[in-house]
Amino acid sequence: MLSAAEIAWLIPLLPLVGAVVSGLGLISFNRAMNRLRKPIAITLLACVGASAVLSYAVLVEQVSGAPTIEHLFVWASAGDFILPMGYVIDPLGAVMLALVTTIALLVMIYSHGYMAHDEGYVRFFTYLALFSSSMLGLIISPNLLEIYVFWELVGMCSYLLVGFWYDRDGAAHAAQKAFVVNRVGDFGLLLGILGLFWATGSFDFNGIAIGLSDGVSSGNIPMWAALTLCFLVFMGPMAKSAQFPLHVWLPDAMEGPTPISALIHAATMVAAGVFLVARLEPLYSQFPFIGLLIAIFGTITCFLGASIALTQMDLKKGLAYSTVSQLGYMMLAMGCGAPIAGMFHLVTHACFKAMLFLGSGSVIHAMEEVVGHEPILAQDMRLMGGLRKKMPITSITFLIGCIAISGIPPLAGFWSKDEILGHAFNAFPILWGVGFLTAGMTAFYMFRLYFLTFEGSFRGEDQDLQKELLIAAGKEVEDSEAHETGEIHESTWSMSAPLVVLAIPSVLIGFLGTPWNSAFAKFLNLDEALETAAKFSWGEFLPLALASVAISIAGISLATLAYYLNRINLKSSVADRFSKINNFFANKWYLDDINEKIFVKGSRKLAKEVLEVDAKVVDGVVNLTGLLTLGSGEGLKYFETGRAQFYALIVFGGVIALVALFGVLGS
Amino acid sequence: MFECTSISILATPSGMVPEPIDADFPWLSLSILFPIFGSLLVPFIPDEGDGKQVRWYALGIALTTFLITVGAYLKGYDPSQEGLQLSERVFWLPELGLTWAVGADGLSMPLILLTSFITALAVLAAWPVKFKPKLFFFLILAMDGGQIAVFAVQDMLLFFLAWELELLPVYLLLAIWGGKKRQYAATKFIIYTAGSSLFILLAALAMGFFGNGVPNFEYTHLANQNFGTGFQLLCYAGLLIAFGVKLPVVPLHTWLPDAHGEATAPVHMLLAGILLKMGGYALLRFNAQLLPDAHAQFAPLLIVLGVVNIIYAALTSFAQRNLKRKIAYSSISHMGFVLIGIGSFSSLGTSGAMLQMISHGLIGASLFFLVGATYDRTRTLQLNEMGGVGQKMRIMFALWTVCSLASLALPGMSGFVSELMVFAGFVTDEVYTLPFRVVIAGLAAIGVILTPIYLLSMLREIFFGKENVEFLADRELVDAEPREIYIIGSLLVPIIGIGLYPRVMTETYTASINGLVARDINAIERINKKSDNTSPGKKFYLSTIKAPSIKPLSLL
Repeated sequence: MLSAAEIAWLIPLLPLVGAVVSGLGLISFNRAMNRLRKPIAITLLACVGASAVLSYAVLVEQVSGAPTIEHLFVWASAGDFILPMGYVIDPLGAVMLALVTTIALLVMIYSHGYMAHDEGYVRFFTYLALFSSSMLGLIISPNLLEIYVFWELVGMCSYLLVGFWYDRDGAAHAAQKAFVVNRVGDFGLLLGILGLFWATGSFDFNGIAIGLSDGVSSGNIPMWAALTLCFLVFMGPMAKSAQFPLHVWLPDAMEGPTPISALIHAATMVAAGVFLVARLEPLYSQFPFIGLLIAIFGTITCFLGASIALTQMDLKKGLAYSTVSQLGYMMLAMGCGAPIAGMFHLVTHACFKAMLFLGSGSVIHAMEEVVGHEPILAQDMRLMGGLRKKMPITSITFLIGCIAISGIPPLAGFWSKDEILGHAFNAFPILWGVGFLTAGMTAFYMFRLYFLTFEGSFRGEDQDLQKELLIAAGKEVEDSEAHETGEIHESTWSMSAPLVVLAIPSVLIGFLGTPWNSAFAKFLNLDEALETAAKFSWGEFLPLALASVAISIAGISLATLAYYLNRINLKSSVADRFSKINNFFANKWYLDDINEKIFVKGSRKLAKEVLEVDAKVVDGVVNLTGLLTLGSGEGLKYFETGRAQFYALIVFGGVIALVALFGVLGS
Repeated sequence: MFECTSISILATPSGMVPEPIDADFPWLSLSILFPIFGSLLVPFIPDEGDGKQVRWYALGIALTTFLITVGAYLKGYDPSQEGLQLSERVFWLPELGLTWAVGADGLSMPLILLTSFITALAVLAAWPVKFKPKLFFFLILAMDGGQIAVFAVQDMLLFFLAWELELLPVYLLLAIWGGKKRQYAATKFIIYTAGSSLFILLAALAMGFFGNGVPNFEYTHLANQNFGTGFQLLCYAGLLIAFGVKLPVVPLHTWLPDAHGEATAPVHMLLAGILLKMGGYALLRFNAQLLPDAHAQFAPLLIVLGVVNIIYAALTSFAQRNLKRKIAYSSISHMGFVLIGIGSFSSLGTSGAMLQMISHGLIGASLFFLVGATYDRTRTLQLNEMGGVGQKMRIMFALWTVCSLASLALPGMSGFVSELMVFAGFVTDEVYTLPFRVVIAGLAAIGVILTPIYLLSMLREIFFGKENVEFLADRELVDAEPREIYIIGSLLVPIIGIGLYPRVMTETYTASINGLVARDINAIERINKKSDNTSPGKKFYLSTIKAPSIKPLSLL
């Protein structure tokens, strides 16, 4: 019988074919394609659905013990350089395949309802299929270079989807920012890949790890070089998985349609960084220092995300910072040398965070009926409240998500987060302390979101508040007569069904990863899992677990008192008293401002200066003195010694001097 | 499952260039002379002055030329051969040593195909030309033959003639159909290129008359000459200036933004698609292939200049507010990778340079065509005046997005493969010291960040955002018409094809590039041996290439 793994190349190919056909159709027969909404959506759904079926077949095979399968072909060659491409199917990949196809499928069904009235419906589905294809390709990539290829492609899809509503200025800026910040990470990733190729002659995960450890132990590669290369490669995951300080693009990316936020910016693409670090485990496990570095970045990110989420008033941004924080947990796990725990949190988080985002989309969709299609208003929690009665399914699933992410047993988040904290406690107790504190903050801000949105009384019809918010956002206030007069109501079946489906794993999936008998760990790495299970003792597990449940309950209680029972006024008792800290969090640690001032303005200024040099000096001088070219032609022969530093010195020195001169003169 | 089909054609051990293989049918002479002959018949085409007949005629000629070159490739060209093929020799003026020698190897063949392909599309892009259409198409067709000749001739004197001959049509196309500052731009172009090509003539004469006997300018003859190192260095420096203007290399580039800024779309496509590649081709052909000893000395300079090209032009492009000039500077930035590839002594890097030329020929042509098509609608090139036009021109927006993504080296498209090959080739190139490679690769990779910054902000300023009501008041923005979609589509097929499976293209020239690189490496080893004998303990080349001690990072 043909095994599913043998035709696993079809998994990314099917959605790609669908996307290419409908994309070409959109370019050639725009009108006709836009009229054929349903057939196209169904075709693309069928493509992703077929991939999902195949992925589950692959998963079943792998669970039942099929060997790892790898197929390669020569993609490019020159001289003695050969670059293979192909695909690999192993347990790690199989889990990700099943996860990504499931969520992609649910998000597509959801989008049918969410984007029903959008004129870009077909384009949206095309992009979704394209993204699914690239993401699935990334998962089955057998080497770093192929990962890089798909890494960029998912980045491109993210760019296209964040900028989907391209008539909005915010979306335009966010899309560009997402792409450029990711390119900064890719810059490191590319250099790291090239450097590792130089050092080991291989792009293959295991080949790199073995080659580098040989090189270091034989002294051919100095330790600092090996560490630098590992860190450069880590820059890629840092940007993609929104780790501090390259996380700045993710909250802005919420300008995209909400299904995208659920699929790309919560469940799959942002997890690609964590996935890559898991893939590179053989490499990173050799260097404890890199592990420490990853753990520190993870912890900072984890705390940063949660602290900013405390003050957010925008529902989606609150969830976005929560995602940043949870990605930090995953990285912390990777850094503690516990990739399985990190991957497990990735899986559970994908389920409940996708559900939370889709739930927020459902809320926003309903809010738009009242306040109109203005994200500033439709996403602000100050205008929500009391939605539970009108949207029962959304509110229940959202509540399940909140409990899951807060780490209350027996829901999914408890098991995965607790495992990470357990590993952190053993590896780096200080980092555990921060992670532990963050768990409390997580419970607080998630329940804050829930109470503000679903409990209390509805505040959406307050025209004055609406105006105030618009003015605060710097938007023009339109005359109030144009406002919508709809009613809040539960969303259609296509939007609520995915919520219900996702609620099931959010509750149950944790049982796959119980620390005393983790099916998940056994699947990914049998030996290690058995070892961990043998070492398991209730005496070690219970105190830590009870402590994290306790701090979560403390967080929830505080949120209940403040936002449900209204017993405490946090604004007067905390925010005003510690206004500096509050402002620090509310302004996102001022990172966006620093970014804007130094990098955006700085690069603009530098570019202007270079242009001025070009227009006035280079053009002028070269125009006037043809003699100079003659002279330099003569002069060049004196450099016969072929000294590279001489050339470099002259050329760079000249350019720097000119730019500096103009910087001084110009300002 | 791992099938290893690497090509193992090594250069002939002596470093000699293999004997040319004669053509059984004059494919190349035909592809040069056919469009030129066809252009001479343009005045006799009955036409009412609106270009409706003559454009069909021109398209027919250009397409036939394309088919002839494809025929040459399929019937007469064997990609596994290192040396010259399809060779034809007719003694023209034997006492002067002038021979009509044409032929193609891996360096020429892809560029010949590119030329006839882009020219055919440029004729299609010139469909709306109403002003003096006969003269316009005459010049385009003449240029087609001239440019193929530049790549196909195998005689240095003939090369010089073809190189000069091709300037005239460009000058006229710029000066008659250009924008407001066309006279200035055309004059600047002619002064720069004609002035610098003086060096080609000098170098050609010097190399041709070298040694005793009848002067001989054929490449195969010159390649087997034993030029002294000093002589090579002089010729190399002169040729570098000539080709550096064409490529262009910063700081010899300032003619390009002016010329590109004033040219019309079809001319633009030819300038970016083919003319710049003449510089890169010539650097490979003469500097790297015929003067290996000097190349060993000059290669680090090429690499440093390449990095300067990438960063400097990317920054200027970012600051440019004029759409055409922005894309023009982006071309300069991309040509930096060609320089780095040529300067690297690895067949991977040099293959990458070759692929970058082809890839940029396709991507640059598509972007410049889109600039022209957009200008026809918006009638302005100033980015601040545009904004929000994406809602009226959706297909145009989609085409722009795809081509910009191709230009910023998105995987799956040709630009990514070529840049990757240059990077990987340079980084693994043991000729240079490690710190030098680290600094250069790091700086060149900054281009990876800068390119999306200027391209995506350009897209944002043109298409994203709210519609600009004032701007739209007196303009009718029509979406892309089928002809335009067809042109971009034709360019995207090879762009994506190469991106998905680069061997379709790289296999056509790997053999020749391997031979060329082997010669250059031989030269380095020769120099090293010599210097070992003369001054023991001091390696002449390897040891002197140290990392630049300054930190150029302060620039950024």
